[in-house]
Amino acid sequence: MLFFNMAWRNVWRNRRRSLLTVMAISLGLGFNIFMRAIGDGFHEQMVDNSVRSHIGHLVVHRAGYHDDPGINKTLPDPAEVEQAIQSLPDLRAYSLRVLGDGLASTAENSAGVAIVGIDPAKERKVTTIHRGIVKGQYLREGEVRPILIGDRLAVNLKADVGDKVVLLVQAADGSMGANLFRVAGIFRSGAPELDRGMAFILRKDAQELFSLQNRETEAVVLLNSSLGVPAAQQALESKLSGEHVEVLTWYQVEPFLLQFIQLDDAFFYIIVIIFFVVISIGILNTIMMSVFERVREFGVMMALGTKPRQIVKMVVEEAFVLALVGAVIGSAIGISASLYFATEGMNLSAWAEGAAALGMTTTVVYTKLTAANVVISNLAVLAVVVLVGLYPALHASRLRPVEAIRHV
Amino acid sequence: MSLVELENVTKTYEDHVAVHALRGVTLALQPGSFAAVAGPSGSGKTTLLNVVGALDRPDAGRVSIGGVDLTATPPDLLADFRLRHIGFVFQAYNLLPVLTAIENLEFIPALQGEPKEQRIRRAEELLEAVGLAEIRDKRPNELSGGQQQRVAVLRAILTEPEVVLADEPTANLDSTNASLLLDMMEKLNREKKITFIFSTHDPLVMERARRLIRLRDGMVVSDENREGRGAEVKP
Repeated sequence: MLFFNMAWRNVWRNRRRSLLTVMAISLGLGFNIFMRAIGDGFHEQMVDNSVRSHIGHLVVHRAGYHDDPGINKTLPDPAEVEQAIQSLPDLRAYSLRVLGDGLASTAENSAGVAIVGIDPAKERKVTTIHRGIVKGQYLREGEVRPILIGDRLAVNLKADVGDKVVLLVQAADGSMGANLFRVAGIFRSGAPELDRGMAFILRKDAQELFSLQNRETEAVVLLNSSLGVPAAQQALESKLSGEHVEVLTWYQVEPFLLQFIQLDDAFFYIIVIIFFVVISIGILNTIMMSVFERVREFGVMMALGTKPRQIVKMVVEEAFVLALVGAVIGSAIGISASLYFATEGMNLSAWAEGAAALGMTTTVVYTKLTAANVVISNLAVLAVVVLVGLYPALHASRLRPVEAIRHV
Repeated sequence: MSLVELENVTKTYEDHVAVHALRGVTLALQPGSFAAVAGPSGSGKTTLLNVVGALDRPDAGRVSIGGVDLTATPPDLLADFRLRHIGFVFQAYNLLPVLTAIENLEFIPALQGEPKEQRIRRAEELLEAVGLAEIRDKRPNELSGGQQQRVAVLRAILTEPEVVLADEPTANLDSTNASLLLDMMEKLNREKKITFIFSTHDPLVMERARRLIRLRDGMVVSDENREGRGAEVKP
């Protein structure tokens, strides 16, 4: 305690210099926490957008479907799959689908589309397509072959609500399937590839179109938290081990998204490292100055019997005091800013095009503050500052008392 | 038996030219000595105190305190030896500026691991005994030079080391404060039997010392024992 008291008082001997150093640490840490919160919020929204737009947290297919999709690769036993999904503890919702490719045609034009056959009631719990209806209405059971198309596809096909659209596909039995649908609604998800190339129809209509007879090609699972994805994948794989199915996570289905997040994280860490280096130089300068100013004091302390390791301890504690004060203030800055933008959001509409290309369907990013962010950022700052303090501390401990006492 | 013994101690500093700070100094001081080492600047006084205080090593010869050969003690053990056996008073006061008077007194017992309550009580008693109780919580920059030097002496003797080495302790004091300081050190020497060795060229200190060792060019040129114990210069 004696050396910590001395360290505390030594730090405030040169109040202005210490305050400047504390300010540098605080701003650096606050910036770090806030930037991490932006990154976490941005990434979570990106993942959420992708997950809720169509892929879900987990997808169950017949084995081999992901690498070589085909309409005839249906789930071997959908009832078994449903039962396994329903047993997941973190389950929020699920939906069975028919997914296939085809050609959509109107009297004006035609375009290749991904056709998704859904159960509207279940699907609206899994995905957010129903929220993006810009014209008309969402699919409803009981209607005669309704179809939901993206706004860009509607433009390409020159189709509007109520217009007829013919879907032409290759059915599971190898025959050509074709049927007439009527546009029930037009949606805008914000993701260009969905709005341009996806059409939703009722699952039973899809089964008829693709000649699937009550079979589905995939089950999409939404969990309460994306943190539970690996465990849920493992649980499903274990329950369906004899079913000849594959259980894929959102990041296996969309590896590009995960790679983008990892790349973004890598850039973030590079910036953080540069930041830490700059802060470290400032702190090193402060502590070195402080040590050089007190050579005689160290000489006296050593002459009186202070051991070199006690000198090291005291100087490192001085660095720790600077870091601690900086960490408290920096955490307050970072946490306040992160919490503010977690509710108010940051308007990034100026970069809306770029954000859309990354799967962002909103131009407002909400920061996400996690305990891990605050704890890791603080620990990193404390560790770096203490490490930086070691060099001047060792320098001070190696002074020869007989020379240090005479130092002017 | 002697408390402090120097046998043929030699120390040379190599700068641009070799400076022979001590040349074959041999001395012995009894416990309870009140000795002054006097001489002109460059005569070797401070070097003598440094080698006795285990702050510096002689090039040749042997230095021992209480039978412990300091020249044969590993460097990493010397800090501990100084902590437990030697007190220091420096010319420029050298109290630790971030500590109050009482905390400066506590510093050495704290290093020795003495419990806080006990060391504070002893420090307070000592301050009280020399009439400095009112400066208890003042920092060095709030004290006069005389007060600082008296606190420095109290710091040196609080743990009752075998020997206190004082390097020109009165050099920065006026005659009144120098006299007060010497009164205090004499009292402590008498009552606690602590050995004091000063380096000085202050006539007041030389006059009050009970043993006066004069150095010139690194050699003992006279050794006057005013307690009638006889000279202790060894050839």
